[in-house]
Amino acid sequence: MEIAFWILSAITVIGAILAITMRNLVHCVLSLILFFLGIAGHYLLLRADFLFAVQVLIYIGAVAVLILFAIMLTRHVTGTEGPREVLGGKWWAGMGTAVIIAGLLWAIIRKDPLAAMLPAGMASTSVTEIGRALVADWLVPFEAMGVLLTAALIGAVVIALEEVIRKR
Amino acid sequence: MNVSLDHYLMLSAFLFAIGLCGALSRKNAIIVLMGIEIMFNAGILNFVAFWHYKYFAVLTAQMFAIFAISIAAAESAIGLALVIAVYRHYQSIDVDEMRSLKG
Repeated sequence: MEIAFWILSAITVIGAILAITMRNLVHCVLSLILFFLGIAGHYLLLRADFLFAVQVLIYIGAVAVLILFAIMLTRHVTGTEGPREVLGGKWWAGMGTAVIIAGLLWAIIRKDPLAAMLPAGMASTSVTEIGRALVADWLVPFEAMGVLLTAALIGAVVIALEEVIRKR
Repeated sequence: MNVSLDHYLMLSAFLFAIGLCGALSRKNAIIVLMGIEIMFNAGILNFVAFWHYKYFAVLTAQMFAIFAISIAAAESAIGLALVIAVYRHYQSIDVDEMRSLKG
């Protein structure tokens, strides 16, 4: 349990760091997939089997492929660049903010009375239970999510095709 | 030493900081979106960790995680469509060059 946690944490953190520091965009996406896999492993370790499947299907199967398509469609950016080209202006302000936020969160968690809490239970939730809950207690949010996803789908197509529509 | 809720909160805070660093300091709009995805995942990991350690009997945290993942997917679709629209307009996806709100 502990060894699995540390290995998965190492995979996750290394994946995240590589995803935002590498020069080549395709390598960044591959590191991001490593990060998503690490998070999926954590879900499995936390006994959330359904979320593990959702993470692999949606993040690795859909989001990563979507990002790869976006990289393909925006050319001239896949090549390697010099270090000055990669970081934006005032990058030190961004990094400083991230360090301050990390320190603050660390201090808050150190003070937390929840610190030494151990697992409440070990049985995993069945997919049947989640499915029942989705169409019973959570029906309205579930339907709203369907509407939101449809709106996002149409919106994405309209935004991406805007210039083409205007030219006609 | 057992793995406690603390470990997950620390890991999640660290991942959030990494994502924030990527979103704020990189120049490429696609990497900025990837940083936002990393922050989303750190938040969702917190939901699942709290569910595992404290509220195991109720499904609320898992439902929130599922809805958060759906919203993150919708967000990334819209974000990447915007990146493509911006690229078509400016011929670049450098966030430092996007200075004008005029279409």
